[in-house]
Amino acid sequence: MPFSTILGAWIAVFLTLGIFSYLYRDNPFYKIAEHIFVGVSAAYWAATFYWTQIYPNLFGRLFAVDSPFASMYVLDKGHEYNGLYFFPLLLGIMMLLSIFKQINWMARWGIAYTVGIAAGLKTFGYLSSNVISQIKSTAVDLFSGSLPFFAMPGDSIFNNIVIFIGTISALMYFYFSREQSGLYGRFTRLGIYFLMISFGASFGFAVMGRISLLIGRFNDLILFSNPSYNYGTFWMLGLIIVVLGYWSFQNPEIKEG
Amino acid sequence: MRFLEDIIVKFGSVDRRVIFVLIGLAVLVPLLNPIDLAIRPTPSSQRVYDAVDSIPDNSKVLISFDYGPSTKPEIHPMTLGVMRHILSQDRGHKIYITCLWPDGLYMAKDALKIINEEYDLVEYEDYVLLGFRPGNEAVVKGLASDLRKVFTVDAAQKSINEIPMMEGVNNLNDFQFIFTGSAGYPGTFEWVQYGADPTGVPLSSGTTSIQVNEVMPYVQSGQLQGILAGMPGAAEYEKLIDTPGIAIQGMAAQSYGHVVIVLFIILGNLAYFITERRERKY
Amino acid sequence: MIWKRYIPIAIVGFFGSLTLFGWFIENEGIKSFIDDDATQWYDIIASFAIFLGALNLLKLQFLKVLKRKAGWEYSVVAILSFLIVFVIGFFMRGAFVVDIPNTDIQSTYFTQGAAEEAVNHLKDSGIIASITPAQWGAHIQTEGGLFKWMFDNIFTPLSATMFALLAFYVASASYRAFRARNFEATLLLLAGIIIMIGRVPIGSLISSWMIMYLLVLVIGILINTYFRSRQLVFGWVALGLIGVTVLGSSMGWPIDQPAVFYLPALQEWIYTVPNLAGARAIMIGIGLGVVVTSLRYIFGLEKSYIGNQ
Repeated sequence: MPFSTILGAWIAVFLTLGIFSYLYRDNPFYKIAEHIFVGVSAAYWAATFYWTQIYPNLFGRLFAVDSPFASMYVLDKGHEYNGLYFFPLLLGIMMLLSIFKQINWMARWGIAYTVGIAAGLKTFGYLSSNVISQIKSTAVDLFSGSLPFFAMPGDSIFNNIVIFIGTISALMYFYFSREQSGLYGRFTRLGIYFLMISFGASFGFAVMGRISLLIGRFNDLILFSNPSYNYGTFWMLGLIIVVLGYWSFQNPEIKEG
Repeated sequence: MRFLEDIIVKFGSVDRRVIFVLIGLAVLVPLLNPIDLAIRPTPSSQRVYDAVDSIPDNSKVLISFDYGPSTKPEIHPMTLGVMRHILSQDRGHKIYITCLWPDGLYMAKDALKIINEEYDLVEYEDYVLLGFRPGNEAVVKGLASDLRKVFTVDAAQKSINEIPMMEGVNNLNDFQFIFTGSAGYPGTFEWVQYGADPTGVPLSSGTTSIQVNEVMPYVQSGQLQGILAGMPGAAEYEKLIDTPGIAIQGMAAQSYGHVVIVLFIILGNLAYFITERRERKY
Repeated sequence: MIWKRYIPIAIVGFFGSLTLFGWFIENEGIKSFIDDDATQWYDIIASFAIFLGALNLLKLQFLKVLKRKAGWEYSVVAILSFLIVFVIGFFMRGAFVVDIPNTDIQSTYFTQGAAEEAVNHLKDSGIIASITPAQWGAHIQTEGGLFKWMFDNIFTPLSATMFALLAFYVASASYRAFRARNFEATLLLLAGIIIMIGRVPIGSLISSWMIMYLLVLVIGILINTYFRSRQLVFGWVALGLIGVTVLGSSMGWPIDQPAVFYLPALQEWIYTVPNLAGARAIMIGIGLGVVVTSLRYIFGLEKSYIGNQ
């Protein structure tokens, strides 16, 4: 196996165990791994967005083959010259200049543009798919007789009634302009129960997701403990335990209260 | 009885690091000593399977890799499972791959490397990797109206006009099925709102467990043809296509992890009730 | 005031309206602008925002180092990490592909020097190979390249482990904080527990009869708590246990019947019926909220994006 692969595996194990060391307590290994993550993420996203967006789509148009600036520099990304793209360039530069406190209002133009576009795009999509389609689906067939009264898995009249009542009552709970008391209050209380069941299910799925990701990390650590990776996991684990043990001895934990 | 109550109350104030060790062991031990557990596919996973099964012969299938390496354990087995299912049918399907996440391109390349070892695919005859385009929902919107404006070249910088498989493919309406492996934004929501709903092309999705509940209403309304929910969903799909993979291998660890957490919840609540009752008494 | 307030509001109103009404306008020019250019501009400006974030991060870390605040040594680590990856991403190709013509054999090297050494080595063995440096832009995605190596071995383990760490805290929180203090909390916990156990293979190993026995005992505890009658408790528990045993014996103890007590089936019902109702209500509520808030931004009623006025 190439040296770069083995080195990479050892670094990956060190960083993984460094993050996990936080479970013991906040310590230098965790802090180092965390700060590396902060620095690397910022640079990674900057590089990715520059090379996939700004370079081909902005400069690729401003310095296209048919651009008036082609004599200075040509970037052929299959686009034609479009002078309107100076507008996003201007807004982008203004955004960068906003790092200076005196002119930090300059970012507002770029933010305003993104807010406007997002507002326009999202309105139709959410209205059509999340509101109208969902309301249509709630209005289900209750009385045609083609469905059984109750079925544990699958469609049934009972299930459709529960969905209908649950959706309406939960939606009514979100209507805060009216005092939720009396019969109305009891109906919205029912809505809260449906919401609690939904939150409970979300909690169950959240736990499931986190455990799955933990399995992924453990699988990698197990892989890197193989002889082909020079038992990287064991060496790094040993190093961290020894150093952390010594550090804990020198810096005993102060218990609260 | 009092003795038992005392033990439960004492356990209620144990250092949280003991809990960390227990959950760590509950997940690690089954990974080191694999245990076979029977997998029962749920109706939502079955629906995805049936949707893929019912794609007409010689169809064009779009698969979108909308996840990164941090959610790879959950979603990668799903996309691999769907690709294996499509290819094993041997019904002349062609696969077109897009990515809404930059990391998705790495995931797609990794998946193709694995699938190529099993099926010996020919690029530009069996599949084409269109690649990543930034733009989130705008990309989906663009694909729905004019794919050739969004993708002028594929991931290897080859002009799509030179790719025989791209002949007659102008927008999403030219596909017979879409599958998205989605870890968040952009992903399933955007494919439903800007892709499947406007065009009517059948869409299925595999998502992280955390996203499943948000997306569930689309399944019941028919906007999504089933959903693969996290790693258990991926394991169910592997079971349905009868090709065990990393998802099935992880199910024992997943199961024991859940059991340990449920036991913690029950013990924690028992300690709480016992303490409450004693405080009320005194 | 015009530059700082009114122009941003006008920008939101103009482009927001254009994008919104663009769904309904059949004008080719407007549609083309909205489908292509408007969203490209959005992504370009968002990319600049990422740069701004990175610059702000550097500024904060530098200030911490200059002022020698607590933990300044770690800020040096953050700055160095940033600079190294920045240089790799922007100034180094890091991907030189050595490829033997007419074969599938190719290998990627981080530096030109290493690639040339490989080519010379092959030349000594009588094989002619060529070096193709990765194109700028493609170099960050080239398999075997330096940026990809950094992504696989530094960025990926860190981001994946940060997520995975939460598994431990979820377990700890479940134990220490999730209490069934009232009926709503009990519903939440019960739904969560049923989903967690029912969704995994171990749930299908738990017989519905075991759940029924458990229910009999739990209801017995509740009767004892609220009614404090030994006869009632004993009667309920005895009848319950006998009843379940008789029913089970008569049915032959099928593991998944009655379905309402079989965790996978119960989980599926909870997931597709009451949970769906709640999730749908939340989805419709959020959808209406997004529509209203978007319209408020477009009509200039909402100006929170302007920040301090």
